[in-house]
Amino acid sequence: MSRAVIAGVGHTPLAARLERSAWALQAEAVRAAVADAGLTPSAVDGLITEPGYSQGVIEGVTPHFLRLGAMLGLNPRYTASEVIGGASSVAMVQRAAMAIGAGLCEVCVCVFGDAPSQAEGTWRYGRGDDAAFGLFGAPGLHALAAQRQMALYGTRPEHLGAVAVTMRHHASLTPHAQQRTPLTLDDYLASRYLVEPLRTLDCCLISDAAGAVVVTSAARARDLRHPAVRIAGFAQAHNLTSFAAADYLTELPARRCGPAAFQMAGVGPADIDVAELYDCFTIVVLMQLEDYGFCAKGEGGAFVAAGGLGLAGALPTNTAGGLLSEGFGGGMLHVIEAVRQLRGGCGARQVSDAEVALVSGHGLGMNTHATLILSRN
Amino acid sequence: MDAPRPVPQSDAVIRPFWEACARHSLCFQQCAACGHRWLPASVVCPRCWAAGAEWRQARGEGSVFSFAVYHRAYHPAFEPLLPYIVAVIELAEGPRLVSNIVGSAPGEVRVGAPVRLEFLDIGDAALPVFRLAPQGA
Ligand SMILES: [Zn+2]
Repeated sequence: MSRAVIAGVGHTPLAARLERSAWALQAEAVRAAVADAGLTPSAVDGLITEPGYSQGVIEGVTPHFLRLGAMLGLNPRYTASEVIGGASSVAMVQRAAMAIGAGLCEVCVCVFGDAPSQAEGTWRYGRGDDAAFGLFGAPGLHALAAQRQMALYGTRPEHLGAVAVTMRHHASLTPHAQQRTPLTLDDYLASRYLVEPLRTLDCCLISDAAGAVVVTSAARARDLRHPAVRIAGFAQAHNLTSFAAADYLTELPARRCGPAAFQMAGVGPADIDVAELYDCFTIVVLMQLEDYGFCAKGEGGAFVAAGGLGLAGALPTNTAGGLLSEGFGGGMLHVIEAVRQLRGGCGARQVSDAEVALVSGHGLGMNTHATLILSRN
Repeated sequence: MDAPRPVPQSDAVIRPFWEACARHSLCFQQCAACGHRWLPASVVCPRCWAAGAEWRQARGEGSVFSFAVYHRAYHPAFEPLLPYIVAVIELAEGPRLVSNIVGSAPGEVRVGAPVRLEFLDIGDAALPVFRLAPQGA
C-alpha cells in the first residue's frame, strides 16, 4: 500500500497539428495540473518527465528533465526522466509514488508531451538490423503479434474492429477527443491494410499533446482542491529478450506485473470498475484483457465483441477513447482519464459508481509494461 | 534508379553474424558451458552468463513463427516490393530471427509453415531470407 495520491491532472488540446513546440505543450500541461491541484509553482519539489519521440531524437544530448526543469524554473529535491516507451507515463507516476513514500519530495509533477508534427519522420525509424528486412516501427511488430494470435487462438478481424469501434464511441462522448467521427464495424472492415493483418484503424492516432499529473502524500492533499485519488497498487514487468522469449507475440509482461499490482492494492480483476489500457494497437487491448485475467487466454476477442469494453459492459475501458481515438498522450491521458472517472463528473461517458481503476502502460514493441491501480477511497 | 535497400549496421558484437551471411552462412551462437543456442549475438550466454560462445552454422531449415504483410513502404527501397512479407523464423536449431519470405503470395503463407534458407545479395552484404519449403518435403 502506497501513501501517495494524485491531487491534480491537466492536459493540452489534442490535435494532429498544434503549431507549438513539445516544450510549450509540456509547460501548459504542468501549469494545468498544478492549478487543478490548487497549488502554485513554488510548491513543486519533484519533476519526472518523458522525452517523447521527437525530442528523444532532437534533444537527446541534454537530459530531458534538465532542459524542461530549467524552463520551468525548478530546483527540485527529486528529478528523473523515464525512457521505457509507452510504459513511461505509468512508470513516472510509480516513481513519483516511491519518491513521495520515501520522503524524497512532497509535490511531484509527472509530465509527458510531444509534438510529432514538428519533427517529420522521426516516428518511422526502423529497429537496428530489422530495417534491412523492411520491419519498420511499431505497426510491424504488432502485426506479427496479431497474426500469431489469429493462428493460435482464432482471433478475428471483427474482434480487432470491435475494439476500434468501441474506442471511437467513447471518444464521441468526450469533448476534447481528437477523432470523434462515428465508426461502424463495416467502416473498419472496409478500411485498407497498413501492415496486414492490421488496418489503419487498428493503429493509434498521432497527436501533438501533453498531459501531466501531480502526485503528493495523502496528508498534503487533505486541504487541496479535489478529493485525492489514492495510488493503491503498482508494479512493472519487462521482456527484454524479445523474440527469444517462448511466448513473445502472444503474452505481455502484464501477466506478471498484474497480480503484483492487484496484491499491493488488495483487489482483484473483478474489483476493477474502469480500465484505461494502453492501446497503441487494437490487438494489445485483447492481449491485456487476457493477461490481466479479465478473461481467459484466447477469449479477449469474444469478450470485446460481446460489448465487454462499453460504458455499461463488464469492463468499461478507455472511457475517453484511448490512443486510438482520444489522441496520443503517451499513456498520461490514460492516467488522467482514470482520475477523472474516480472523481466523477465525466458527463455522458461517466461510469457509474467508479471506485477502482486500472491503468496500464505498454512500450517498445512488447518489451516493457507497467500497471497502476487507483482508488477513490 | 531505385533507392538502395538499408544495409545492416551492427555493432562489433553482432558483426560476425553479418560477416558470415556475406559468405552465405547463417550462424547462431551456442554456449560451450550449457549448450544453449541463441540469436541475436550476445557477449555472454543469456542463460548461464558464461563467456566464450561458439558460432555454429544453421542447417537452413525452420518454420514461420509469425509474419506480417507490408502494404505501405516506410522506406523508398521497399516501394517496388509491395506487398512484401516480414517474418519471424524459428530455426530448426531453436533461435529465432527476423527475415523475409520470398517467392510466395501473402495468402500462401501460414504460421508454422516449413521454410528453407536462401541468401539475397545486396551490395557487399547478404540477407538471410526464406522460401516456403516444397509440399511433403
Ligand atoms: Zn550457457
